[in-house]
Amino acid sequence: MFKVSKLFAAAVLGAFAFAVSTIGQADAIKVGFNVPLTGFAAADGKSARIGAELAVEQVNAAGGINGRNLELVIYDDQASPKESAPLAAKLITQDEVVAGISGSYSGATRAAATIYQENGTPYISAYAVHPDITRSGEYVFRTSFMGEVQGRAGAKLVGEMMGKKRVSIITLANDFGKSLEAGFKEKAGEYGIEILGEYDYSIKDREFGPIVSKVKAESPDAIYASGYFFTAGPLVTQLREAGVAVPIIGQEGYDGEMFIKIAGDAAEGVIITTSLDRDSKDPLAQAFITGFQAKSGYPADMVSASTHTAVLVLAEALKQVDPNDKAALRQAIASTSINAATGNISFNKLGEVKKSVQVQVVRDGGWHHYAVISDPILLAPPEE
Amino acid sequence: MLALDLLLQGIVQGAIYALIALGLTLIYGLLRILHVAHAALFTLGGYIGVIVTNQTGSLAFALVVSMVLVGVLGILIYRVAYKPLLGKSPLVALIASIGLFIAFEEGFRIVFGSYGLSFEDPPLRTQVDLGGGLLISHSRLLIVGMAVVILSILAWLSTRTRTGIAWKATVTDPQIASSFGINIERVRYLNFFIGSALAAAAGVMVVLLTNLVEPTMGAVASYKALAIIVLGGLGSVRGTLVAALAIGIVESFGTVYIGHILDRDALAFAFLVVALMVRPQGLFKAD
Repeated sequence: MFKVSKLFAAAVLGAFAFAVSTIGQADAIKVGFNVPLTGFAAADGKSARIGAELAVEQVNAAGGINGRNLELVIYDDQASPKESAPLAAKLITQDEVVAGISGSYSGATRAAATIYQENGTPYISAYAVHPDITRSGEYVFRTSFMGEVQGRAGAKLVGEMMGKKRVSIITLANDFGKSLEAGFKEKAGEYGIEILGEYDYSIKDREFGPIVSKVKAESPDAIYASGYFFTAGPLVTQLREAGVAVPIIGQEGYDGEMFIKIAGDAAEGVIITTSLDRDSKDPLAQAFITGFQAKSGYPADMVSASTHTAVLVLAEALKQVDPNDKAALRQAIASTSINAATGNISFNKLGEVKKSVQVQVVRDGGWHHYAVISDPILLAPPEE
Repeated sequence: MLALDLLLQGIVQGAIYALIALGLTLIYGLLRILHVAHAALFTLGGYIGVIVTNQTGSLAFALVVSMVLVGVLGILIYRVAYKPLLGKSPLVALIASIGLFIAFEEGFRIVFGSYGLSFEDPPLRTQVDLGGGLLISHSRLLIVGMAVVILSILAWLSTRTRTGIAWKATVTDPQIASSFGINIERVRYLNFFIGSALAAAAGVMVVLLTNLVEPTMGAVASYKALAIIVLGGLGSVRGTLVAALAIGIVESFGTVYIGHILDRDALAFAFLVVALMVRPQGLFKAD
């Protein structure tokens, strides 16, 4: 008898818990989120996840989506297209998300974008740079700069704002580095920049002795070098070690604490074009910067800021439409005009973001404001 | 001047390759095992070097600790992974080795984190003038100096001491060496210890240049070192040294002048292909 009643109590309790949890779930609006939590991109994946979770917390704390909570359905894609494509299908068909956000790299994001497009479900790439991502179709958007746009901003920064005319270019030979190089060279002539030499390196390279020697022999006024923190850190270290003291201009691949940790004193004075202004007075950016530091234990970076922005863009669009009407949701995202941690966000007809380029410099071991470039013609992303 | 500078950079790179590839060629010469996991020991050497330097402030001490610990681990790998497979096809040991390499990489990620580690106060950053305006950093000078010293000691050991002669005898013909009273097992242990310690030294040297040790640091080294020992004529110590320097120098000039056509690895392998077309047996005959 005792046994039976205990069992009965457990069953009642269980049913109650189940009922409560399903009420909670039915109420929340689910958004798919693919992000590399393991593998070589795990470091960026961690920042992306925390940035997205922070945005969701902030949206829900401010009343959610017309009273309903936003909920991320998070899957690890290991930055691999082989993982991200089936995950996109699973998110759309099984988890029944209203839209997706990519906190991942170009390869994984491109593969997933195709699936989202085929299923008529909006998808926002937070920081992947490959041009073909938004070309997947009208349901795909991007909240970060394309390489070309940032490259053009780099040319203006070096040639006009800094007045450096003799430049050596060191390029990471992948889609990111090559598109930056193309943008920089496209506008170099316009700003009176003479290119002394161009050098490519592969993403596996960490030793730059020969390139450093050659660049040193050219004695440029400035060096335009693309890369990620794990290549840029060693590169800047070796340039400064060899006594090359001229300004080094990088991009958002440098952005974050790891670059400064690797390059140490050599990082001082390095200038980059990126999406997040650490010294911003904007309350939204400030809330993000302090909120991220508190949640993660390390300072905000470009990846987390871009992912945070992507979630806010989606949340604002969701507020305006019936969340289950994906065509209306797509339309709402396309006509986005919001202020986010990375600035004022709107999209062109291809789904590419239109926003200002933030220029940051390393000073006293941290990223700080250097300048802002907000020239809509220079920074216009491709329309098709 | 630039040419001399590039030559110097090539020699620095070649010295690092030599330290990595030598252990590999010694092990191949002795056991006919392609020890891919050797590159993981190179990475581990870098990790220990950074951690101990950051804790104690002494690079020299860190270098010794790194070489000894990794050397002992090399012996363990032989004892646990390779020894039970010696009677089997060399392919079995090769597969075991690749498995070990992957396990090590993931292990580094779990233990040391996926971000990689750096020196808190990078040592030997200052420059020396070699005359005529040819500047080189102390770290690069140390790398070349270390390689020369270590390889000289090794050459002396192998030709002038009983242990060294026993070693060479074992490489040439283990059975006859054994019948002359040489403890073959001891020779193999010594071989793994020295080879692994050299890889550890190379790992520390590389981090001195880049100030970054990551879980995947050994990925390039794993196949580049294989290319070097093939070019050197599998199992030849002299060949390995020459091949390491040659590839270092080819990469140095190549990255600067044709780097936009062929990247650094492609250059090394293109050179390997051309060299093997001319000399299919490698640069030197196995010792």
